Amino acid sequence: MDATWILFTLGVALIFGKLGDHIMERFELPGVLGEILMGMILGNLIYFGIIKPEYLALHSNETFEFLARLGIIFLLFLGGLDTDVEMLKKTGGVATVSTIMGVFIPLLLGYFGLKLMNYPSREAFAGGVLLTATSIGITVRVMMDLGVLRSDVGAASLSASVMDDFLGIALIIFAVGTGSVLGLISKMAIFFIITGLVAWYTIEKYIHFSEWLHVEKGVLGMVLALMFLFSALAEHWFDAAIEGAFMAGLVLSKLPEGKRIMDDIRAIAYGFLVPVFFVYTGAMLDLRVFTSFDALSLAGVLTAIAVIGKVLGRGVGAMAMGWNVKKALQMGIGSIPRTEVALVDLMVAIHGGAIPQSDAPKFIAATLIFITVSVIITPPLLKWAFKEEVESMKKGKTEKRVEAVKETKRRIFSLKRPRKRP
Amino acid sequence: MNDVERALQTFYSMKLSDIMPLVISMPIVTLDSPIVDVLKLLRTRHHVWVVSDKESMKLEGVIRYLDVMCILLPPENTKARFGNISAIFKSILGGAEKAADVMEHNIMAIDENATVLDALTKMRRYKVQILAIIDEKGTLKGEISLRLLIDEFLRLMKIGGVQWTQHGSSSRSEWH
Repeated sequence: MDATWILFTLGVALIFGKLGDHIMERFELPGVLGEILMGMILGNLIYFGIIKPEYLALHSNETFEFLARLGIIFLLFLGGLDTDVEMLKKTGGVATVSTIMGVFIPLLLGYFGLKLMNYPSREAFAGGVLLTATSIGITVRVMMDLGVLRSDVGAASLSASVMDDFLGIALIIFAVGTGSVLGLISKMAIFFIITGLVAWYTIEKYIHFSEWLHVEKGVLGMVLALMFLFSALAEHWFDAAIEGAFMAGLVLSKLPEGKRIMDDIRAIAYGFLVPVFFVYTGAMLDLRVFTSFDALSLAGVLTAIAVIGKVLGRGVGAMAMGWNVKKALQMGIGSIPRTEVALVDLMVAIHGGAIPQSDAPKFIAATLIFITVSVIITPPLLKWAFKEEVESMKKGKTEKRVEAVKETKRRIFSLKRPRKRP
Repeated sequence: MNDVERALQTFYSMKLSDIMPLVISMPIVTLDSPIVDVLKLLRTRHHVWVVSDKESMKLEGVIRYLDVMCILLPPENTKARFGNISAIFKSILGGAEKAADVMEHNIMAIDENATVLDALTKMRRYKVQILAIIDEKGTLKGEISLRLLIDEFLRLMKIGGVQWTQHGSSSRSEWH
């Protein structure tokens, strides 16, 4: 394909992606949905024959596909860099247990649900993994509006969401990895020794070497090199480059130098590659798939499990740690939304072969549906779950206001009262 | 070689240990200090060091002037997306109450035997205005700030009316 049209597609994808992001933010929904929606519109202009595929290189174009995959790698690298390992260590018991339960219950329900629908084990497991990670953005926004973000439920939800992403990213290895379980575990052990332990203790020397080179953006270049090398290793062993990118980010996150280059990485990621990835993902959804009963039933099952599984998992975990049913339910509802990591896992599962190409359109449609449903239903459900707290806060504020008015009147009265002269 | 060049040559080769201020004159809070104390310091300083306690002076983190934006903004304005979650935790509305909640754990440090040129190079490379000077146990020994380097350069040039003390900064003690 002529480079002109690839460049043109990139320009169009970025403009539409950012516009979509803006529109969704206006409706207080995650911007990523807008990028996907715009991708869907552009992609379907091609599917429906309105625009010729040679003018808009969104489908079956190696360059565009590679850039979208780079977007995933940068996104995960940024996720690793943004992780605060010290804070993770201090995560409380409720957050830890409810996160683990909130990951494994949807995973198991998803796996068995898809097995009942006659999907093979590997594909069913990949489907389950898609349901594991929470996206905290919408929950933060609603909890803050309700004034409950600083409650223990709010704090536990925030820390749980970080761990939850971590597990969601790690588990995809088991879906895409091939060979025996023992072989896979051995490879994982070696991989984590190399990218975790060895890199953890030698990264400082590597950064000092990069500084010693004294070249323009030398540290950034060398850090990106590390990210690509780790990604290559993970791609080679597990068909999941994201694991390497995430580990590179995680290792670098312990150094101040790593944290300082985050702005540069974020500029590349959110300014270019990540929107390309989300537009590309949206463009993969052929709307004609909705005429298929299989796609709709898959979407129905995954959506139900995504919602029920999370509420049940997180809630049971919180109750096991001593929380009452109400707080457990609040915690569970706060964990319903899914966005970025579900899409990343989906793409890794498709590229890694865990979800075969023949089923990919169904899974894309189902994932986009459960993501959309999850972010739309969470705000009203959270408002309902926190209704009593909000009302008691309002009542408390009214009482305080009445008291304050009384106190002011009393002061004014005492000032007006003529003082007795001696 | 004119005066400016001569001053610069001397300036570049100066050891940081010779110009760093006394710890007592540095803006320091402990992990459990309220955010309000941090904000009071940041009205006049570009950073605040966070130590575990006043006795050990083990450096735990730093809060920079520009971090105030994350502290004061509601979490929704930080666009909570994957790879940008940590900023949420720094918001007062996101639950931050103490210095430990809003500090950056990863502190950019430099050796006290390094030169001014090394410090400037590091500051430029990572776009930071402040570097910590710590010993091998992680105890805070001093700091090098861009403001301090400006003062030192002006002192060398014998201009600017900088009143200089033996240990650099002439600021009053800012313990909280």
